[in-house]
Amino acid sequence: MELAKWRNNDVFDPRGEFERLQDEINKLFDWSYPNDRGLFDRSLSPAVDVVENDNEIILSCDLPGVNKKDLDLSISRNVITIKGEKKGEQKHEGSKTYRKETWSGAFQRTISLPDSVDPEKVDASMKDGVLTVKIAKREDVKPRQISVNVK
Amino acid sequence: MSDKEMTKRKRCVQPMGEIREEDHRVIIRLEMPGVSKEDLNIHVENDRLRIYAARRDEKPEGTFLVRERSCDDYEKVFTIDETIDRDSIDAVMKDGILEIQLQFKKEVQPRRIEIKGS
Repeated sequence: MELAKWRNNDVFDPRGEFERLQDEINKLFDWSYPNDRGLFDRSLSPAVDVVENDNEIILSCDLPGVNKKDLDLSISRNVITIKGEKKGEQKHEGSKTYRKETWSGAFQRTISLPDSVDPEKVDASMKDGVLTVKIAKREDVKPRQISVNVK
Repeated sequence: MSDKEMTKRKRCVQPMGEIREEDHRVIIRLEMPGVSKEDLNIHVENDRLRIYAARRDEKPEGTFLVRERSCDDYEKVFTIDETIDRDSIDAVMKDGILEIQLQFKKEVQPRRIEIKGS
């Protein structure tokens, strides 16, 4: 049995409606830490694009300033994991920071790709702070063109 | 800027960055993934420092399964005051990070005054 506050929806309650509206608007402006933070929350992990076409899956990830050797890329079946560390700038003593909008630290992203990928054919490259991973699709799932002879 | 110019302009995003002062210079560090040195445009116009970068990186063909990255051009304008030496602004672009160094003018830098003893 579930215990919940009884609410008669048939009765119009203007005060209650206003309170509900106020709650919802307050939620919009609530920039403080939400309590439903995940272990690998998006605000502290790099943005990712995944594009699918007939031949391959292309994953792009924004990693400005991240060195290739600080990255750890792994794939098992169709689940790809990008792990790494985004290092902050080495600061001299006596330096004053006026504004900081960027983040640094360890991050991890795990993405489930479609089942059709071939985990043996992965090609990763890094350019201008963008990591691009190309994962080929299995031959048997690629769309094939079958020509039919019409007699 | 006129209205006509405004409507012609492409949508831009402001790159995230960091500003700090170190050894008598101001360092601006902006994260611009996907931008190479050739796509960058840095101008100083009176007291405005404008950084603009066109996105020319390759966009893959296909359908998006996840889309979180922005593909707009980057633009950021800073106002710099008269203490900054316009002629010695340095910029380095590496791995998607632009670092701009602004030097203070010589006369603004603190000068140690010797106290003569009698």
